[in-house]
Amino acid sequence: MAFLELEKLTKSFGTHNAVDGLTLSVEKGEFVALLGPSGCGKTTTLQMIAGFVEPTSGAIRLAGKDLLAIKPAKRGLGIVFQSYALFPHMTVAENVGFGLEMQGVAAAERTTRVGETLELVGLGAFTTRFPRQLSGGQQQRVALARALVIRPQILLLDEPLSNLDAKLREGMQIELRQIQRTVGTTTILVTHDQAEAMALSDRIVVMNQGKAEQIGPPHEAYERPATPFVANFLGKTNLVNGVTVRPERISFAASGLAGTVRTRIFQGNHWLYQVDTASGLVTVIRQNTGEAMPVEGDAVQLAWEGRA
Amino acid sequence: MSRNGPLALAYHTLFVAFMLAPILVVCFVAFTPEGYLSFPTDRWSLRWFYAIAQYPEFISAFWRSLWLGAISSAIAVGISVPAALAIARYRFPGREAVTALFMSPLMIPHLVLGIAFLRFFTQIGLGGTFTGLVLSHIVVVIPFALRLTLASAVGLDRSIEHAAVSLGATESVVLRRITLPLVLPGLVSGWALAFINSFDEVTMTVFIAAPGTETLPVRMFLYIQDNIDPLVTSVSACVIAITVVALVLLDRAFGLERMLVGRNANHGR
Repeated sequence: MAFLELEKLTKSFGTHNAVDGLTLSVEKGEFVALLGPSGCGKTTTLQMIAGFVEPTSGAIRLAGKDLLAIKPAKRGLGIVFQSYALFPHMTVAENVGFGLEMQGVAAAERTTRVGETLELVGLGAFTTRFPRQLSGGQQQRVALARALVIRPQILLLDEPLSNLDAKLREGMQIELRQIQRTVGTTTILVTHDQAEAMALSDRIVVMNQGKAEQIGPPHEAYERPATPFVANFLGKTNLVNGVTVRPERISFAASGLAGTVRTRIFQGNHWLYQVDTASGLVTVIRQNTGEAMPVEGDAVQLAWEGRA
Repeated sequence: MSRNGPLALAYHTLFVAFMLAPILVVCFVAFTPEGYLSFPTDRWSLRWFYAIAQYPEFISAFWRSLWLGAISSAIAVGISVPAALAIARYRFPGREAVTALFMSPLMIPHLVLGIAFLRFFTQIGLGGTFTGLVLSHIVVVIPFALRLTLASAVGLDRSIEHAAVSLGATESVVLRRITLPLVLPGLVSGWALAFINSFDEVTMTVFIAAPGTETLPVRMFLYIQDNIDPLVTSVSACVIAITVVALVLLDRAFGLERMLVGRNANHGR
């Protein structure tokens, strides 16, 4: 039996099913991402696990117990919100210590655990600051520390990195993954960013219109998308004669699908081509190895593995 | 920040002068040595400030106005908090009606309120009492209290409260430790605005107050009906001085712009 189980979970708003019969099993210690465009039901799913939204039907079980029978305040889940939701009138230490205070942990132990957790997220020196005195990335870490310090059964991350700029986001992704591996907390991430989902999680759940289109390891979902929606959502893709082919799997060869280079864009570590062929416009990505590459207007032949 | 052009500058100067002129004139006249309202030209005197001491009813009316404003504003804010939280968060039948009801005293002429309360209080035995004054002032100032409380309740990020709940806080703990501290700037400014309106109210109060429960504006209004000496100007000058001191203190403590414009520093990024 899995650690966290969602069974035929459904949430309807009027006639619209925001979440439509979602079934998912999460193992202890696993990092699972709910990935999809806005309105796909991923946030509603998270809120049902957290207890802020009541499901219309279905069940949620945590370690075999019915989670829906437990009040949100008693579920013992750590949540990191998109807006961070730090308490603006409390210091960093008070923010992080709040959950322990609610559990009735003695002041001395509280100080120790708050200190340890802030060290873990690299903010050991910031205990007396107020949230408004911190950068976005630092606020993010405080929010993470506040969720982790209560040693939650599950860590829920709601678009935790979407308010950070691109460079900081990449750094935080690596850090977040390391922290999650260190503490080993079962984690559910909600995101619309496929790169983030693939970078962080053990398994991804690609959601569309309230349903899971595919559940599996990121690599598998990317290489063998179950539906055209998944293929499209997880990155650039070509649909050639009913077969999806990733652009980086296509190479220029001596023989293959004939075409003419329409545009060529240099992107540093790779070239991005648009090639006109009899089967339509095909996107090709080639590594930049320093060699001469076809230019716009050149006649080329496209080949890829498994091509009939 | 763009600078004002000469025309805009001239307009602003005129506007400020127009606002301040009556206040300055009153303050000047208060220093006249004459027995009638006159602009002091060559001689200055504190005669009319000493005269206040001979009219203890002015002093007791001042304290009564202060208490009346403080108490009615506090109760108005107390009523506004749950109302504002409900209006800001939930969609329920009658939500618009509740909002309109709370705001309606703004629409009703105070003259009408005065006559209505006079009749009503006489009927239920509260005529001319301090309790009656408090009740009527609560009604008059509640729109101001609610407006500012509502502004800060609407600006509150609900995920902050959700975060507290997820960390194990019960509803009452969330209210006490999270919600109320976060809407506090709105409560303080709502109270201040309500207080100012209560302290200033004369049209309605003149009907309700009786000898012995007169507020300062009512006392002054009644005085100038019978007298034309500059006593009311010296009383006014004192009130203006107290107001200036209070505003400076409030600005130091909270920031006036934030209080009255309703900008909440807690949510600024």
